[in-house]
Amino acid sequence: MRRKISLLIMAVFVAGLATINHGCSRSQDSDAEDSRLDFDLSDPKLKERLGEDDGYAFAVMYGADVHGSLETCG
Amino acid sequence: MGGLARRVSYIKAFKQRSNLEVPALFVDAGNLFSDDRAIGDQLSAELMTKNKWVVKEYGNSHHDAANIGYPDLPYLGELLKKDGYDKRVEEYPFIERLISANIQPVDDQRRAPAPYVIREITLKRGAPGQKIRVGIVGFTEAKQINNVDKQIVYGGFRVGDIFEAAKRVLPELKQKTDFIVALAYMPQDQTQRLASENPEIDTIIGARALNSLDEPQHFNRATIAYAYNQTKYLGEMRVYVRNDGTVENQVNRYVALDAQIPDDLTALEAVTAAHNEFTTEQNKSANSQFGGSHGTNALENATLSPFVGGATCAGCHAAEDEIWSKTRHAHAMATLENKNQQFDNECIRCHVVGFEKGGFQSLITTPQFANVQCESCHGAGREHAGNPGGKPYGQVVTPAGCTQCHAPPNDPDFDLAVYWPKIRHGSKEPIASVKVP
Repeated sequence: MRRKISLLIMAVFVAGLATINHGCSRSQDSDAEDSRLDFDLSDPKLKERLGEDDGYAFAVMYGADVHGSLETCG
Repeated sequence: MGGLARRVSYIKAFKQRSNLEVPALFVDAGNLFSDDRAIGDQLSAELMTKNKWVVKEYGNSHHDAANIGYPDLPYLGELLKKDGYDKRVEEYPFIERLISANIQPVDDQRRAPAPYVIREITLKRGAPGQKIRVGIVGFTEAKQINNVDKQIVYGGFRVGDIFEAAKRVLPELKQKTDFIVALAYMPQDQTQRLASENPEIDTIIGARALNSLDEPQHFNRATIAYAYNQTKYLGEMRVYVRNDGTVENQVNRYVALDAQIPDDLTALEAVTAAHNEFTTEQNKSANSQFGGSHGTNALENATLSPFVGGATCAGCHAAEDEIWSKTRHAHAMATLENKNQQFDNECIRCHVVGFEKGGFQSLITTPQFANVQCESCHGAGREHAGNPGGKPYGQVVTPAGCTQCHAPPNDPDFDLAVYWPKIRHGSKEPIASVKVP
């Protein structure tokens, strides 16, 4: 009986781990990486660039005309 | 300003600030790849390398979609070849996020790109838990050959009518999605027409090498914003949602990607690797193209060019030449060489004399035109050198003459009153409008 209970606890534990790691489907594959972010958000310069968080629900970031360059000049 | 490493870093900071509450899509409105000096539809080995890194890293940095602009077509022709396509997509999955509703291959050797992609996001604000399907669709104009004519077929693709394509694709996309973002690589009047004729569109991101940070425009239901050239400023369209899940408002802002934004180290490693591989290819190309024959080329260039080079100017203007030799202008090419950018056309033009105007071509064939010399500011001087007492020559209009290169995205700290004393030369004040303390 004690062995069965131990096996059951083990099974529940493993199932829980599996759910945490794989159970939530994500539409954005960058989320896992983003959970490790570590910026100093109190830095006034970065705060200025980020602007005020005024409750927007989502954002579209955009650019164009990089014309083959991952960096800019000089 | 700009660069992938800062863009990636900003987006990560953005997500952290909202505790991952605000989903962000990342799109490119066109001209992702270089077609510089393409011969017909053929790109050089170094440009193939450069473009390969872009498609690789845009995938690695989780971009959601990129519109195909006409400069992209020669490289797209390589990416969408049916032969080996599946293997290419496996290696560079971002290929399947390159979209256009109005280009089609001219033969059966290549696949057509998808007209749009759909991304689903789950809201945590406004209407928490609600899923919104965002449709992202792309359009491009054809390459302009001159003021009148366009090159409809380029890179193995035919560029179709933008407005016909929009009428065909948008109703279908509207059925499948809740919010439509159109990416438009075309002049602004055509972008506005796209909005006016198509009420399905919620947001248009326009682009075409624009250097403006104007307020967004509103036509029909659409909010139109324009991407800044080379993404030196990152566009951020914020969307506000009511409790019932409908969109309430859109607010646009631009984020200066300057030194205040730290580089993302992973992205920076990729940028460095791309740079090194590109430079290696360029060196190979330069050696095979000019090896053994540059003496002849240099002679031809010296006699045909409307420019003469600073050494000729110094024959009469020795004092000015002496001052110039101690300025940063005299070492402008070294700035690029230190970053291995001496072959990059986008960079070269502000570091040499007369690029694409009959002056500098390369360090091998026209070394006499490297660096910012007299004629970079004063204009081509061959006629003046041949007849110094002839037509008036050399007046520089300021600050416009300076800000062609010292524009805010290249040099945000430029101040004529501060910079002019660093290069002051001439027997009298040559720039009447300069007020020097």
